[in-house]
Amino acid sequence: MNKPELIRISFKLNEKTVEAQVSPEMTVLEMLRRIFRLNAAKEGCGKGECGACTVLLNNQPINSCLKLAASLTCSDAILTVEGLENNALMKHVQQAFVDEGAVQCGFCIPGMALSSYHLLKTCQKPDAHQIKQALSGNICRCTGYMKIEAAVKKAADTRSK
Amino acid sequence: MINQISFFKPDSVIQACEILARENNSLPVAGGTDLIVKIRNGMFPQTTAFVDLSSLPLRFIRETDGQIEIGSGCTMTEVIENPLVCKHFPTLTKAASTVGALQIRNLATIGGNSANSSPAGDTIPAMFALEASIKIRSKSGLRTVKIDQFFTGPGKNVLQRGEIIESFLLPKRETRGVFLKLGERKAHAISKINLALATWTESGKAKFRVAMGSVAPTVIRAPEVEKLLESSSQPFSDEVIAEAASLATKAARPISDVRSSQAYRKQMAGVLMKRAMNAF
Repeated sequence: MNKPELIRISFKLNEKTVEAQVSPEMTVLEMLRRIFRLNAAKEGCGKGECGACTVLLNNQPINSCLKLAASLTCSDAILTVEGLENNALMKHVQQAFVDEGAVQCGFCIPGMALSSYHLLKTCQKPDAHQIKQALSGNICRCTGYMKIEAAVKKAADTRSK
Repeated sequence: MINQISFFKPDSVIQACEILARENNSLPVAGGTDLIVKIRNGMFPQTTAFVDLSSLPLRFIRETDGQIEIGSGCTMTEVIENPLVCKHFPTLTKAASTVGALQIRNLATIGGNSANSSPAGDTIPAMFALEASIKIRSKSGLRTVKIDQFFTGPGKNVLQRGEIIESFLLPKRETRGVFLKLGERKAHAISKINLALATWTESGKAKFRVAMGSVAPTVIRAPEVEKLLESSSQPFSDEVIAEAASLATKAARPISDVRSSQAYRKQMAGVLMKRAMNAF
């Protein structure tokens, strides 16, 4: 079998400029996990329904299982949960998830945390509807959403200005 | 056997058209939200090349002589957040905001939704109701096709090899409208049926356009409903609303499939019509 053609790409990953060689069909999710060993983003459904693969592309949440890695350019910036390790807002969100018992098996949580982080970053005081909307692309099969929504609300209510 | 696949990243629209014309079995990829899933499901085993459209200068929304032009590369989010679109075409804003969830809307493009040509594509009925035209680019030039001439069947359209959708041209008018859909759940669902209604005033008269998706091989207009609404006085009486609902049900000629049944879709065409009229 022929060796697949590899495409050299350069982009920003968690605020550092990185390079990679990817095959044409490789998705951003596969690249993050296999090449960069960043395992927070996960493959749930592999078709953009569950949100377990959520990452931020240029500050917007996307399904990383639906974006071809080869299409990334040097002006693109990807942010994963790992890149927000020391981020005050993300830590605050994560603590609220812990406090509210919003985590059960944990598989959906990196995606949930990123969607919540993005909501709180773009909206100072989200109401219940906005929280539901922001999390509507993330599926959890354990906790049933109430605790997750409570965690986001708590994070919003208790954050320092 | 796995084909040797090449990846092209053209930086101009013309270059993209040239590659697509030249490379047999090449696939244009815009947002990828439908296509990547299909590729992974093995629906394009013959593919030898991906042509990435995501870096092309097709992410614009601008006014040009009496029209508003929406570049095919605009994401759903970019369309939803655009003030020109919001002011003139609320039907389109609403339709785009029901596509997938935020993660999808940040990738999926307005051009891809039409190019994909699903009878359930949510922005398509809105484009019908707003009388959009599609600007199609190829290496030899440009042609413009009215939206109701673009689709030829489920997943099928008039695009030839080497052609890509450059933009949508919408007559600039202040319209009002609604977009309604029924899916498995409120967020993030493929439509079992959807309906777009747009209305505006032309020479002192109210114009109505109604289009429905997932009720025929392509999105269809409901001209009988439009005629009824245009010839009835407003506010509409309960009789007119009931008659419009019955005409919408008659216009729908759906099939049964994995998402819904023929009978349900037919009945819901009338229900959505009624809801759309009550939403004004």
